[in-house]
Amino acid sequence: MTFLHAILVFVVVAPGAAFAILALLWMVGWSPRERVVSWLTGLTFLGCTLGVGALAWIMLWSRDRSAVVVTFGNWFGVGDYHFPLVLIADHLSLPFLALAAVLSGLIGHFSASYLHRESGFLRFFLLLHLFAFGSLLAFASGSFDLLAAGWEIVGITSVLLIGFFQLRAAPVENGLRVFSIYRACDIGLLVGVFAMHHWAGTASFDHGFPNLTGNQAFIACLLLLLVAVGKAAQVPFSGWLPRAMEGPTPSSAIFYGAISIHAGAYLLLRAQPLLARSALGSTLVILIGAATAIHGTIVGRASSDAKTSLAYATLTQVGVVFMEIGLGWKWLAVAHILGNATVRTMQYLRAPSMLHDYHQMYSAIGTKLAPTGKQFEELLPERVQLWLYRWAFDRGHLDTILDRWVIDPLLQVSSYFARHDRIGMSWTAMQPRNTAPIALQGQAKQGSD
Amino acid sequence: MPVPGWVFQKPFLTSACIGVPWFAAALLTVYRRHARIVGCIAAFVSIVGSARLVADAPNSESLYPALMLLFSCLTFGATLLLPRRDCTPITIGGILFLLGSTLLGYSTENLLVLLAAWILSAIPFLWAGWLRADAWRPLAGLLLSTLALALAIGFISTSTGVISISSLKGQNPGGAAAFVLLVTAVIFRKGICPAHAWVADAAETGPALPTALLLNGHFGALLVAKLIVPLFPGTDALFPVLSYLAIATALYVAIRALAENSPRRLLAFLALSQSACILSGLESRTAEGIAGAIVHWFVVAISTVALFGILRLLEVRFGENLTASKHLGLAEHAPRLAVSFVIFGLALVGLPGTLGFCSQDLLIHGALTSHRLIGLLLPIATALNAVTFFRLFTRLFLGKRRTGFTVKADALPRERWILAAGVLFVVFGGLFPNEIIIQRSSDATLVREAMRGAEGLNAIGTVDGQPARRPITAYR
Repeated sequence: MTFLHAILVFVVVAPGAAFAILALLWMVGWSPRERVVSWLTGLTFLGCTLGVGALAWIMLWSRDRSAVVVTFGNWFGVGDYHFPLVLIADHLSLPFLALAAVLSGLIGHFSASYLHRESGFLRFFLLLHLFAFGSLLAFASGSFDLLAAGWEIVGITSVLLIGFFQLRAAPVENGLRVFSIYRACDIGLLVGVFAMHHWAGTASFDHGFPNLTGNQAFIACLLLLLVAVGKAAQVPFSGWLPRAMEGPTPSSAIFYGAISIHAGAYLLLRAQPLLARSALGSTLVILIGAATAIHGTIVGRASSDAKTSLAYATLTQVGVVFMEIGLGWKWLAVAHILGNATVRTMQYLRAPSMLHDYHQMYSAIGTKLAPTGKQFEELLPERVQLWLYRWAFDRGHLDTILDRWVIDPLLQVSSYFARHDRIGMSWTAMQPRNTAPIALQGQAKQGSD
Repeated sequence: MPVPGWVFQKPFLTSACIGVPWFAAALLTVYRRHARIVGCIAAFVSIVGSARLVADAPNSESLYPALMLLFSCLTFGATLLLPRRDCTPITIGGILFLLGSTLLGYSTENLLVLLAAWILSAIPFLWAGWLRADAWRPLAGLLLSTLALALAIGFISTSTGVISISSLKGQNPGGAAAFVLLVTAVIFRKGICPAHAWVADAAETGPALPTALLLNGHFGALLVAKLIVPLFPGTDALFPVLSYLAIATALYVAIRALAENSPRRLLAFLALSQSACILSGLESRTAEGIAGAIVHWFVVAISTVALFGILRLLEVRFGENLTASKHLGLAEHAPRLAVSFVIFGLALVGLPGTLGFCSQDLLIHGALTSHRLIGLLLPIATALNAVTFFRLFTRLFLGKRRTGFTVKADALPRERWILAAGVLFVVFGGLFPNEIIIQRSSDATLVREAMRGAEGLNAIGTVDGQPARRPITAYR
């Protein structure tokens, strides 16, 4: 293993190691002080940032080096099927690695004061480390197999952070909703990876899938598109994005302003060889991107809180990024992602102090700001404006459609099954066991169960 | 003093693994004190004996010793995890009796002994006042499965006059009738649709941890691996039916769980749905599917027992009227139990970083390879299970705190250590899965060879009209 290989491994593993150390210490009963947690976080992400910087610097100066590839063999394998454990830092993954390392460090630094004395301080940082590990793993993976592993970790941390304020029911329920959509869409990744193994014999990025026929490439594109659409909150799965704003602002910034929301675009960038061979697949990507961009800009205008407005602004840009990817403008999409992610993170982090910022601005200029002028929608007839307002107010009716056509029927089927299961249950009376809750009788204490 | 060599011989070790728990169970009927200590010692002896058997077994024959080791560890863990309220001589005796019977089933090569093990493992759950559930369907499920197996073994032994499993391999003994009866036994014992309801009833109205142990003996899967696959390669065309039933069960139960609010029933449905995947993997005829099924067996067993154990601890601490219909906010009072619960649950549904991810990955690849369209239902079922589990977790542990209860009621040291051991297994197993999967891939190869042996056999186990001469060596 060369020095460059060691750096790449360090960049990916460091947040995971920090998570493991903090989690194990907590499990055995030690709760570290806030200062210790924030120092460890700072050191970890400083190391990661320097590592990515070093990788970029060396790759820039040694012109013959197109990628750093670390091969650990197979994570596991049986018969002809293997799960390759390959990390890669190439021109595509490096910007994303840098983005994840820098923004995670920034969020860690910001959160140390933002969440000071919050009861879930340690939990937040544990999940931040785990998220950073998952995203760095996904961006540095050399195959769709490993990308799926990082992808799932990003998903579960995202959901747990949405429910961070666990004493309120709404964040928890919204977290469950987001988790359901993630899991439903992730089926595409599982089946897509299988399809690539089955047809091409591999899911590694470096092969370019030359064996796939047009139809096979289209099916693989379709499956990967389902995953990307779910994670990037594209139409028709955009309904979860405002729900995800229930989490603390720093996590919203890094997940829905920067990394997680753009992970779908990264997946499609990795699937460019497939998209290039399937005109229908590319067209679908463009259409979904365009629909999302229009949906995002309309709904964003009727959003009444800062974070949701920002979420829809991000969504609009991600829709445009999808269009760029569909059109094959790979590097424009990368530049767009980097710019959008950085700006949105800054905007999210400033959102809680927006009123304060405005007051400062007003006092500095001595008056209120002038209105920014007419909005585009005012050019439309009033009836259309009203219709659009209703559309925007209900967020495109996407959640309503999902509830009415997917969730409700599924629950009805489940209830129908439950009724059938209960047939005959009452033939013998099921005796309730002791229902006296010891704890509520005031008899509970540690060790007296 | 040197230890005599026969102590390390397979017959003695196997007898010790089975006999010591039975002896301890009998002891507890007269000596009714220190039940937990007696249980732990007996289970520990089984662990040591099974570990020695695993170490001595060649790679191709290590599956059943490994399963013996797994079940001994599960029993040891369950004995430690039992709340003091449940830790009676009757319960511990039942658990130890189940341990001995299950190990007997894993280790035997004799049809009649297998039948005896099958019956003995069910006895504590049939006997009123021992571990029996307060519902009729578990009773019916266990009795019908026993009846079906007894009839199948009766057919086999009367038609061939042989009761040694290894002598019957590839001979299609008892014909289609025996095969159908064996499949019926699997369906009832494993809770495959439409005989699934007894599992939820048993979990709901029976003792939680012993019932979890009964389910995780996986005698249904054992019957598939030990009898159906090696003995009936001639019924090749019928195997997919079992697989379809298993996949349909996985999906049906996953959908059924969506509208369930009883935590015990929810966990039972989750366990049932995930363990149905084991059957579809065993039948998939691909190395990855079979290896995935065997590894998944381990994951399901450990996770399910731990989840039921944690749920029982919560019931004891916070009252038995727990429900998934509202948020209970128990994480504030029991944070370590919450973390353990989420880790085991996510391992069960295949989160990366746990062994469940690897087993699910292999299973899904195997199922999709062998059944392109039906196999698609498996990832859908897994996704639904993940949602159901997460709903259960959020309802039990997140949300508003319970009013009137302010003290911490987190895991006690003994509970914490045994849960930590389980967490370490599923997490380290997930980080370094090859060590476990390579062990099981040799078993997978043998099962696959046994199934592929059917390609040269017709329905009555002959090749071109001549009796099959090639012995199929899988699953001694």
